[in-house]
Amino acid sequence: MGRLTAVPLVAVALAAPWLVALIAPGQQRYIVHVLIYTALFAALALSYDLVVGHVGSLSLAHPAFFGAGAYTAAILATRAGWPFLADVAGAVLVAGVLAAVAGVPLFRLTEHAFAVGTLGFAVVAWIVATNWVEVTRGPLCITGIPKPVTTLPAWYGVALAALGVVLVLYLGMTTFRLGRALHAVRDNEPLAAAAAINPLRYRRLAFAVGGALAGGIGALYAHYLSVFCPEEMTMALTVNLLVILFLGGVGSLRGVLVGAVLFTALPEVLRLAPTWRLVIYGALLLVIVVRSPEGLEGLFRRRAGAR
Amino acid sequence: MALLEVRGLVKRFLGIVAVNGVDLDVRRGELVSLIGPNGSGKTTLFNCVTGFLGADGGRVRFRDDDVTNAAPHRIARLGLGRTFQQVSVFGRLSARDNLIVFLQQHQEERWLARLVRTPRLRRLEKEAVARAHALLDLVGLGEKADAPAGSLSYGQRKLLAFAAALMPDPELILLDEPAAAVNPTMINQMKEHIRALHRQGKTVLLVEHNMDVVMDISQRVVVLDHGQKIAEGPPDVIRRDPAVIEAYFGR
Repeated sequence: MGRLTAVPLVAVALAAPWLVALIAPGQQRYIVHVLIYTALFAALALSYDLVVGHVGSLSLAHPAFFGAGAYTAAILATRAGWPFLADVAGAVLVAGVLAAVAGVPLFRLTEHAFAVGTLGFAVVAWIVATNWVEVTRGPLCITGIPKPVTTLPAWYGVALAALGVVLVLYLGMTTFRLGRALHAVRDNEPLAAAAAINPLRYRRLAFAVGGALAGGIGALYAHYLSVFCPEEMTMALTVNLLVILFLGGVGSLRGVLVGAVLFTALPEVLRLAPTWRLVIYGALLLVIVVRSPEGLEGLFRRRAGAR
Repeated sequence: MALLEVRGLVKRFLGIVAVNGVDLDVRRGELVSLIGPNGSGKTTLFNCVTGFLGADGGRVRFRDDDVTNAAPHRIARLGLGRTFQQVSVFGRLSARDNLIVFLQQHQEERWLARLVRTPRLRRLEKEAVARAHALLDLVGLGEKADAPAGSLSYGQRKLLAFAAALMPDPELILLDEPAAAVNPTMINQMKEHIRALHRQGKTVLLVEHNMDVVMDISQRVVVLDHGQKIAEGPPDVIRRDPAVIEAYFGR
């Protein structure tokens, strides 16, 4: 993304609640809610792309870290009375440490076995959240999670700030020397080792940072809805993230952002019924994978190249 | 003492002995070739020396370190560079980045700290870029610096992989069939590159099938057959060695 296109995009993103108020005054609450959702999902998708797109490890464990962060923040806020920023920091830490520790055995597996192993991890995390009633209240959900800000535009500001933090970290991780090392591991692991890079270290690093950021987003999500249930951390979340990544463009900042906007905001705005949404996602996934395996990002690039 | 010292190396695959008690010495500044019929254990020996395969017996010393069964990235970090038989590049990185990535780990080993572009990192990066361009020019890929390595032709990728192995200026460089499956012009080019390395005082261990290349440039030749060393000596002696002739052409 060039600087020139990025500046107006950021301006539009910042001014969005007011633009919405101008264009659709009656719908403002609903649309701003969708925008908040989109910003949080974009941030979550970026944290996921660090693992899937940049070290090429198809992790299915992301909901576990999202949930770990959400529960940490929810419990710290409701039972220990921690202030907002402190419980979010706690969530980032807990999810990050969980991902760093889980990464040790999980990265003994490779490729398909790794995907299945991380899926198992996510399922176990979900079962723990459902059944460890003393801590998580299980299916009764944790309710009454305090909201640090109450107006929707203020929440939109919080979500954008979170997206900004994730974006800066994402750029730091995926460019320059760190990005080069991650991409080397993704493209050719034995060759990376011949280049004196410890492939496992970089895979685990991306996994831990991705997990920590997912935990932070989970915390914000729990605060925003003020309730958090085990169902929020099922495979459905992974499917959503995979659709965003693969349709937008794995390993590409622009692709992931476009994917997040398209597949979070549009279905909401179009008021798609959930059943139809899945059918359309499935059909779109097929079309894109066949026509443009690199997602929409591949289409953009080809058009730019043809010009 | 030898720069690389292999003693009694053994490697088995499912009961088949691929390398059977091989001794090998490479002294500083030497150009040694490892030859042998297909399946004689040359590449397996290479992979054991560089840590890509675990040895089942024997020892490997590089410089003054025992590197038997050490992790490949550690051995590379000690200054043992290698290329792969199958052309091997980072397909989505640019040709330039393919080279820089081979140097950056030797310049500094920060990992998370690389998030911040400190002045020191910027300076090291600048040095790495300059060296990458010099090496790209050397192998004639100067114009391809920005091209993704995956878009290069087979021969170009082979040259790129060779240049990448030179990036950290390794103490010892192991080349696995640099002249295989390339056209005659490029074979000569490769030969000249290797000869130039040797003249600069670099230590080279070469696995090669092309006898013209081997006999032309090696100081010493080591012959493997069925995982065992059957001969060792200067090229013109090896050429007439009855055991070698038998291994290659049968009785």
